[in-house]
Amino acid sequence: MALVRRFVPFLAKAVRIQQTTQAQKIHRWVAPTLMELKRREDKLGGKKYYPRNTFLDWNLEAELYAFGQRLNEEFDSDLLLQAFTDRSYVIKEEMKQKEMDFDIKMKDNKELADIGENFIRAYIQNYLETVLPKFPLEGLKCIRNHLTSESVLANISLHLGTKDIILAAEYPVDNFILANTFKAIVGALLDSSGEERAAHFVRDFVITQLQGQDVNEYWPIEDPWTMLTDILKKDGATIEPRLIGEAGKNTLLACYRVGLYVDKKILSTGFGESVAVAKEMAAREALKKIFGTEDHMKPINFQLDGIPKPNSQSRYQISAS
Amino acid sequence: MSAAKRVQQWATFARTWHIFDCKWQDPYDSANVIKKYLMGLHKPIYHPMNDSGDVVVCINSKEIALRGDEWRKRAYFHHTGYPGGASWTLAWELHNKDPTLIIKKAVYRSMKGNLQRRHTMQRLFIYPGEEVPHDVMQNVTNQIRQLRFVPTRLDHIPEEVTKTYPKVMDFPEDYVLK
Repeated sequence: MALVRRFVPFLAKAVRIQQTTQAQKIHRWVAPTLMELKRREDKLGGKKYYPRNTFLDWNLEAELYAFGQRLNEEFDSDLLLQAFTDRSYVIKEEMKQKEMDFDIKMKDNKELADIGENFIRAYIQNYLETVLPKFPLEGLKCIRNHLTSESVLANISLHLGTKDIILAAEYPVDNFILANTFKAIVGALLDSSGEERAAHFVRDFVITQLQGQDVNEYWPIEDPWTMLTDILKKDGATIEPRLIGEAGKNTLLACYRVGLYVDKKILSTGFGESVAVAKEMAAREALKKIFGTEDHMKPINFQLDGIPKPNSQSRYQISAS
Repeated sequence: MSAAKRVQQWATFARTWHIFDCKWQDPYDSANVIKKYLMGLHKPIYHPMNDSGDVVVCINSKEIALRGDEWRKRAYFHHTGYPGGASWTLAWELHNKDPTLIIKKAVYRSMKGNLQRRHTMQRLFIYPGEEVPHDVMQNVTNQIRQLRFVPTRLDHIPEEVTKTYPKVMDFPEDYVLK
C-alpha cells in the first residue's frame, strides 16, 4: 500500500500530461489589447506606411538589376529606370529642383508605356486568334480588353514586385500607376531584347491569366438565340427546340431541360427555371460548341513560340449583332 | 456567377418527384427504399448538410401487405402523458383508422432521429387509393420500382380470356365438381 501511495503523485502527473489538448491557446487579453492598440493608432491618424525605398540601405540600381535577373530578362538599365519613373515623380522632382535652382532632365515612362501597350494589344490579339481559331472577333476583343484592363495588369505588376521600385509621388501606388509601369516594362524589354523576348514575357505573365477561366464569361451575348439562328441560316440549317425534361412542374423549384435539334440530331441542351430560360441556355451551349469553347474544351495552349500568325478563314462573322 | 454556372447549379439541386405504388408491398422494406429518395442518398452530391432530397408520392397505401400474422401481432404504442395514458393499437386497428399511418410511421422510423427528420417527412405524400390530386400528379416524373412483383389475380382476369385459354385436360361430363 505504501508503495502505491508513493507512486500516486507520479501517476497523477503522468495522467495530466496525457490530458493536454492540442488546441491553440489564445489568451483572453489578446483581442482587447489589439483593439486598444488599433484605437490609439487611429487616434494618431491611422496606420503609417514607410516605403522601403526611403530606408537608408535602399539601393535602386541594385534593385533594378535584381528585378531583371529575377525575371531572367536582359534589360537596358537606363530604359528600365525610365520604365519605373512615373510622371508624378518627375513633376515632384522638378518642383524640388526649381526651389534649389538647378535642372537635371528626367524622363517619365509615358512613351514606353504607349509602346508597350500597343505591343501587348497586338500580340494578345494575334495569340488569341491562333489559340481560339473559331471564336468570333467580337469575343476575342472582349477577352483582350479583360486581359489588358487596369485591374488585371496592376495585379500582375504588383506580384512581379514593382510596388517598391516604382518612383512615384505617392505611396502605396494606385492601380493605374502599377498597370502603366507594367506596360512600360514591356516597352523597355521590347527595346532592349527584341520582339520575341517581349512576346514571350507577355505570354507568360498576361495570357496565362486565362488559365482555369471560362473565356465565354468575358463576352456577354445579348441575344444568343438570334445569333445562333443567324449562324445556322448561313449553313442552311433550321433549328428545332424541344422540351426533353422537366422536374417539379408546379413548384417554385421547377427545372426544365430544352434540347436543340438540327435534322433530328441533338446539337445542345440547356437547363433553366422556365422553358424560355432553358431555351436561351441551350442556344448559349450551342454557340459554345460552334465556337469551340465548351466546358470540356482542350486547355488553351500557353506555349506558342514567337509571334503567331493566325489565319481566320474558318471564323464565324457576327457582324449582324 | 455566370448564367451557365447558375443554371448548372439549378439543375443539380432540382427536386425530382417520384411515385411509389405500395400495393402488396411490405411497408418496412419499402420504407428503406423510400427513405433513400427522400433524403437524397441516391445522388452523388449527397451530403447531410445538403438540401438535396427528393419528393416521394406513395399511392395505394390501403393495400400494403404485412408479413405473417403481423396484422394481429404488431402493436403501435402511444402515451398521452397522463398516468394510465398508455395505449397499444394493433396494426389492423391502426390501418382501419387511417390507411396511410403504417407506411408513414415505417418511413419515419427508418430515418435517424435528428432535426432534419420532420422536414424530410414533409416531402412524403401518401394517398390511400390510386387517386392523386392533379397538380401533384403533374409534378411526378419518375417511378420507383416495386420491391415485389404484383401478380394479376385470377378473378380479375376477364371471363372471355380464361375461357379461351388453352387447356391441358377437361373434366369428364359426369364428373361432379364440389
